[in-house]
Amino acid sequence: MAHSVAEIEGQLGKLWAHAAVARAEAARAEAALVAAQAEAAARAAAALAAARETSDAGGHHVAARTSVLNLVVVAGDKATAQECSATIAATASRHASRSLILSATDPDGPAGLDARIEALATTAARGRAEAGAETIHIAARGETGRHLASIIVPLLVHDLPVALWWPKDPPFGTHRAERLLPIADRLIVDGSAWSGSGLDLLAQMAAVAEERHVVVVDWALLRQARWREALASVYDLPDLRPHLGAVRRIEVEYAAAEPGDPAGATNVVRPLYHVAWLASRLGMTVVEPMRRASEGRRHATLRQKDHEVEVLLRPALSDLGAGSTVSVQIASRLRGAELLGSVAAGDRIVEVSVLDNGRERVRRSYVAPRLSDVDLLGRAVEEGVADPVAVRALAMAGRLLAPDSGVHLGSDRSSSHGTGDRSHDDD
Amino acid sequence: MSPTRVSAPPPPARTARQLREAATAARRRSRPDADTNPLRQGLRLERVPDPCAFVLFGATGDLAHRKVIPAIYQLWRTNLLPAEFSLVAVARRPYTNEAFAAEVRTSVEKFSRVQPIDEAAWDELAKRITYQQLDFSDDAGFDRLGARLDELDGQNGTAGNRLFYLATQPSQVTEIVRQLGRVGLDKEIRGAGWRRLIVEKPFGRDLDSARLLNHEVHKVFRETQVYRIDHYLGKETVRNLLVFRFGNGIFEPVWNRSYVDHVQITVAESIGVEGRGAFYEETGASRDILQNHLLQLMTLVAMEPPSSFQADALRDQKLQVLRAIAAPDADDVRRDVVRGQYGPGWVGGEPASGYRQEPEVDPDSETETYVAGRFTIDDWRWSGVPFYLRAGKRLPKRATEIAIQFKDVPLRLFRESAGDPAPNVLAMRIQPDEGIMLRFAAKVPGLGLDVRAVNMDFAYDTSFVVDSPDAYETLILDALLGDASLFTRSDEVEAAWAVVTPIINAWAESAPPHLPNYAAGSWGPEAADELLERDGRRWRRI
Repeated sequence: MAHSVAEIEGQLGKLWAHAAVARAEAARAEAALVAAQAEAAARAAAALAAARETSDAGGHHVAARTSVLNLVVVAGDKATAQECSATIAATASRHASRSLILSATDPDGPAGLDARIEALATTAARGRAEAGAETIHIAARGETGRHLASIIVPLLVHDLPVALWWPKDPPFGTHRAERLLPIADRLIVDGSAWSGSGLDLLAQMAAVAEERHVVVVDWALLRQARWREALASVYDLPDLRPHLGAVRRIEVEYAAAEPGDPAGATNVVRPLYHVAWLASRLGMTVVEPMRRASEGRRHATLRQKDHEVEVLLRPALSDLGAGSTVSVQIASRLRGAELLGSVAAGDRIVEVSVLDNGRERVRRSYVAPRLSDVDLLGRAVEEGVADPVAVRALAMAGRLLAPDSGVHLGSDRSSSHGTGDRSHDDD
Repeated sequence: MSPTRVSAPPPPARTARQLREAATAARRRSRPDADTNPLRQGLRLERVPDPCAFVLFGATGDLAHRKVIPAIYQLWRTNLLPAEFSLVAVARRPYTNEAFAAEVRTSVEKFSRVQPIDEAAWDELAKRITYQQLDFSDDAGFDRLGARLDELDGQNGTAGNRLFYLATQPSQVTEIVRQLGRVGLDKEIRGAGWRRLIVEKPFGRDLDSARLLNHEVHKVFRETQVYRIDHYLGKETVRNLLVFRFGNGIFEPVWNRSYVDHVQITVAESIGVEGRGAFYEETGASRDILQNHLLQLMTLVAMEPPSSFQADALRDQKLQVLRAIAAPDADDVRRDVVRGQYGPGWVGGEPASGYRQEPEVDPDSETETYVAGRFTIDDWRWSGVPFYLRAGKRLPKRATEIAIQFKDVPLRLFRESAGDPAPNVLAMRIQPDEGIMLRFAAKVPGLGLDVRAVNMDFAYDTSFVVDSPDAYETLILDALLGDASLFTRSDEVEAAWAVVTPIINAWAESAPPHLPNYAAGSWGPEAADELLERDGRRWRRI
């Protein structure tokens, strides 16, 4: 256990000097790695701890990964920190070279920090090259919890990109965000885990991304890759492709927390992203931003070329988790011909159907499993540069949620406050 | 006054092909909706294959079951094939559609790289499999095939697009192509479907037979319709070689005769002929590996930067390399090329019989199971830099590697060092353990000035989450998309044979060395070591 940045640095140096023994242990644990990466990583860390006590041998180092970064996790509370730690450990063979997991405890207690360092020395699948990484768990107490940036900066591996992972509601506009965002090359969030409808934070994030040119990797958008492929496949047939310029209606059905989502409390970031992505790809502009209507519905009006496009987000009862997309429909009309493309997805299977003037033209289902948190973190870590499609989708989301849209009214706004992070946001 | 920003005009088209490409690009710009799907941008594929029928000749054979059908299943499973797809399996044996689908399912269960088999995906694919019994010399059979494909266009919406994959014996290629031409299955009609042909290696046995084969194929198909598959070119690391060379600025300045001492390319197999004795007796290592895999890898190492990654831009540069390789005369072959054949030995702790004891092999066979050679490229970049190529069966391990050995430093400042600061090496491992290694000298910690070689290692496994696709998945998808970049053009094939045929001819006219001349499990005949020792070099220990 360390209690200052200097002690953490000292522990890190000692730790790698003893890593050779752990390497041997990790090699023995390799068979279990693929099936139970977290378990193997934990064993490797335990072996390392044992090695520290029994060996002074130095001079050997666990080979570092060739593609690395600093991953800073602003976990907020202890439970979230543990969840993030487990996800990081499960990506052991492909995760960042240095992870800092920060949580703030006892905000009114005496200032100080408790740090614990965990080393992950693993072999990759099939017993090949080694990967070495370390995770530093820092719990900041009292006044120290308000100065996280001062702890983070000295512990970053120099010359490596910094990813800032905010697993819960990011406190955009606060002093803490002002201090932490400038050190990050990319921001990792999960919009679908935000409190309330999530639209307030989404609008803020769109503004932050545009103003600060931060690369945003939103798991909510990453998760939709399988939906995007399915929707794109509707228009792969050359004779249907011209319909992309004649869209009249986009309708997204999502699983509501309660029937009709009367309080508007279901997170609708994912349904909104579908609309934002489609609108940005198909050259649409916002005529009327998103607004709440009766029966928990949300409406917007877009324009494509010379015609308007009606947008509807509709709550539905579903076995899927609240906020999950149930289906996406795109209706178009071109020279009198009506086309309706529909996509629905469950945990593993995606279904695509196309009705051409009421006649079934395509019906296909295929395997495209939902991405796990481990997959999502792996992808977020590997995103090298901003994905231009994601950038435009987020910017369009911002326009769909323009200030006069009404999303700031009622429950949407109030529901996204009061999170654990906000309680000490004056870094 | 601030300068006005103007975009540079595109360079004028200079050749007929450039004019065609410019015209095509202009057409695409004028009607974007027709050619591109804006929803595909940023997805795995920005373009998906057109609806099509995949017609697999030799569908009951080993290649089809081990490689081609598992690759199709994997592409289907991951939604990289269109819904409007048919797999038309063609072979001589009688099968019902259901019996054939059941048989290939067993193969997919055995050979697919992703297990277990996905029932839903398989069921969907199985519905699209049709078996067509056909004797390749039977005119009526090909007439029926043509009619069947037309029917499938109506049933499955395959839109007249057809890919013919010849996973057959090489001797059957000409006959199948002739029959396809006779029934008009080669004819592309604007807007009514494309027709493509995939041919497996070997592309001939020597220069004359390759020319004849190309001539017969070209009687029916245009070169742009023909995709000659060398699966090595679909391997991830081979494709990464292009990215490594042309996506990194720091290596290009040293990628030439001024800095490179020599290049070694190794294709080592630990297995023997694995029941393919009769086939191997007719081919040997020169035809099986040197003419295609080794020379293709050599072209990728040595080629000039192409102007684009368009198929012909890439293949033009590879062709230039092949044409610049000095074709050996009989004396050169005696001096610079070594052949070998394995005798009994031990591989991986198991006894291994000699080549002549393998089934279907002549007990007095003179077929080479090992070939090594010293080649030079007569151009400004590589003049004087030897390329050492070797390939063999029953070597100690399976390994394919390209190693660029750089020149030594001009002055050894650390000659008192206890270690030996070896010259820099850049090694690209194609298989297994795909990756890239750079060796350089580093000071050993301590008060002295000892120098030791250390390795900086990049391994695919530890840097990327996604699995690499199988080479056949890559190549089949490319062919369906009409991208011929990773396929070999007819003039490339002939240029490669122009290098290898003099070797085969020289061997035919001279007495072979005493065979077998290396033990199974060793690194080949002593003469191969002497080939490098003569130049003051040695093979890398892999």
